[in-house]
Amino acid sequence: MTMARSYWLPIGAGIAMMLLPLLLTNPYALSVVVLALLYSYLSLSWNLIGGIGGQLSLGHAAYFGIGAYTSTVLFTELGISPWFGMIAGAGLASVAAVVIGMPCFRLRGAYYALATLAAAMILMVLVENTNDFLGGPRGLDVRLLHDAPLSFQHTDKRFYYYIILAFVVCALLINAWALRSRFGYYLTAIRNDHEAAAALGVDAQRFKLIAAVASAAMTAVGGTFYAQYVLFIAPEKVFGSHLSVQIAVICIVGGRGTLWGPVLGAFLLLPAEDLARTLTGGTPGVTMMLYGLLLMVVMRFEPRGIIVLMERALAEWNRWKGKTARMGKGVA
Amino acid sequence: MASILQALFDGIASGAIYGIIALGLSLQFGVMKIINFAHGSFLMIAMYLSYVAANSLGLHLLAAIPVVVAVLYVVGLAAQRWLIEPVYMKESTREPISVLIFTTGLWIFLDNLFLVIAGPDYRTPDSDWATGIFIVGDVILTYPQVAGLIIAVLVTVALVAFMRFTRLGRAIRATGQDREAANVLGIDSASVYRTSFAIGLAVLGVSGPLLLASYPVDPFIGDLFGLRAFIVVVLGGIGSIGGALAGGLLVGLIESLGAQFLPITYSQALIFGVFLAVLYFRPQGLFGMERA
Repeated sequence: MTMARSYWLPIGAGIAMMLLPLLLTNPYALSVVVLALLYSYLSLSWNLIGGIGGQLSLGHAAYFGIGAYTSTVLFTELGISPWFGMIAGAGLASVAAVVIGMPCFRLRGAYYALATLAAAMILMVLVENTNDFLGGPRGLDVRLLHDAPLSFQHTDKRFYYYIILAFVVCALLINAWALRSRFGYYLTAIRNDHEAAAALGVDAQRFKLIAAVASAAMTAVGGTFYAQYVLFIAPEKVFGSHLSVQIAVICIVGGRGTLWGPVLGAFLLLPAEDLARTLTGGTPGVTMMLYGLLLMVVMRFEPRGIIVLMERALAEWNRWKGKTARMGKGVA
Repeated sequence: MASILQALFDGIASGAIYGIIALGLSLQFGVMKIINFAHGSFLMIAMYLSYVAANSLGLHLLAAIPVVVAVLYVVGLAAQRWLIEPVYMKESTREPISVLIFTTGLWIFLDNLFLVIAGPDYRTPDSDWATGIFIVGDVILTYPQVAGLIIAVLVTVALVAFMRFTRLGRAIRATGQDREAANVLGIDSASVYRTSFAIGLAVLGVSGPLLLASYPVDPFIGDLFGLRAFIVVVLGGIGSIGGALAGGLLVGLIESLGAQFLPITYSQALIFGVFLAVLYFRPQGLFGMERA
C-alpha cells in the first residue's frame, strides 16, 4: 500500500508537469518555472557529490561555465550543434573534476570545498582576461538561428521547458539509482564513517571521484542548456561564486542526500528570491543575504533540510487521518 | 635586476600580511578542526572598522590596530558562543562538515549584509602615513609595507610564545590534540574553543588596518584574501603557526615574482596549481613546523 502511494506521487507530478505549459500562457510564469527546473536539475547534480557523497563543493559554477563556454564556442566558431557541444562540455568538465578531485579525495575535511571554490574563481578570472577569444568580461552571444531544434534553439520557450523537464527526470532517475545501488551505499558508508568504510575495503577515493565526475558532467550539461536558453553567456554569470553558492544552498536547504530535497529547495528558494527582490526594490545583496541566512538557520535547527520537516508533517497528518477514520467507523 | 629586487621585496611584504591573515585561521583549525569559511568576511569587517577608526575617529592606522583587535576579540567570542558552538557541539565527528556549511552561510550573509549597509563603493582611508615611502637604493618601500613586515614577525613570535609558555596556551594545545583527554584533566573545552576562536579573530584584526593602508575596502574584499589565506594555511600546514607565516611569504613571492614573467591573472592560476600540487604530494604542508 505504501509502495503504491510512493509511486503515485511522482507519476501524478510528472503528468501535471507535462500539462503545465498548457496552463501557463504567461511567458513570465513559464520562465520562472523553467528557472526553477534548471536549478532543480543543477542541485540534483550537486547532490551526487555534495549530498550523497558528503563532499561540500562551493565551485560547481566551474563545471557549469565549462559546459556553457564549450558548446557556445564550438557552435559559434565551428558550427557544431550544441547538442554535440553539450557532450564535449560534459567531457571537459569531467576532466576538470578529476584534476580537482584527485588531490582532494585522498584527504578529508575542507580541502574539496577550498579547491572547488578556487577553481571556479580562477576560471572566471582567466576567461575574463582572454580579451577576444572567449569574449572577455563582456561575454559571448550565441549565434541566433531562431527555430532550429537540431541546434538546440527555438523561439517557443515551451521547447526549453520540455527539455529541462526531461533533464530533471533523468537527474532524478540517476539520483534514485545512486541512492539505492551498491555504489550509493558505499558513498553513504564513506560519508558516515570514513575509517570504517576504508577498513571494510571500500575504495573511498575512487567512489568519491566517480560521483564528482558524474556530478560535474551533469552540471556542464546544465551550462549548455543555460547558454541556449538565454542565448548569451558572461564569465560572471556562468562562473561566478553567486551561482556556485545558489546550487549548494538549494540542495542543502531542501535536503542533501535525499531524492526530492533538491527539487523542493529549488521550488521554494527561487520564488522566495524573486519575492525578496520585488519587496526590496532590487537592492543588491538582499537575495544573497537571504541565502546565507537560510543556510545558517537550516544548519542550526535541521541540518537534514526542509524535506525532513515535510516528511514529519506528512506522517503526523497520516496518523491523524488514520485516527479520525477509525473513529468514524466506530472501531476505536 | 632592480625590478626583480623590488618584486622580491613587494612579495615578502604582501606575503607577511597574508601570513597574519592566515594565522588566526590556522589556529582555529588546529584547535577545533574546523575551517571557518567566514574568515574573509571577518577580515572585511576588520577593514571597515579600521576605516571608521581612521576617518571618523581620526585615529592613525597603527593606533587603530589595538581598537580593531579588541573589537574582533569580542566579535569572536560572541560568534563562537552563539553561532558556531550550537552547531559544533551537535556534530559527533572531529571534522565537522556542518560547521563548514554553517560558516559558508555566515560568510555569504555577512558579505551581503555589508553590501546592503555600506554599499558597493570602494573606500580608502584618509592617511598620509599610508602613502609614505622609504627609498633604499633602487627599491621603494612604503611605510605600511615595512610596518606590516615587522608586525607580522612580532605577532607570529608572540603567538608561538603564548601557545608554548602560558597556561592558557598549553590548555589550547592540549584540547587541540585530544579533546576528551583534556576534558578529563579538567579543561573546559567549550571555553577553550571560545577563547581560541576569539584569539584567531583578534590576530586577524591586526591585519585590518595594515591591509587597508594598501587596499581599499569593499564588501567582497574578504573573498579574495580569505581564499588566499586558505591556500596559505594549506601550504604552511594546517594548524601550524610558524607555517602560516612561511606559507604567506611563499604565496606573496610566487605572486609578485610570477607577475614579472606572466600576466597577473596567470600568477593567480599558478598559486592554485601550487596549491593542488601540495595537496597531492605533501598534504601535511610544506614546512614541518610545530603544530598549534
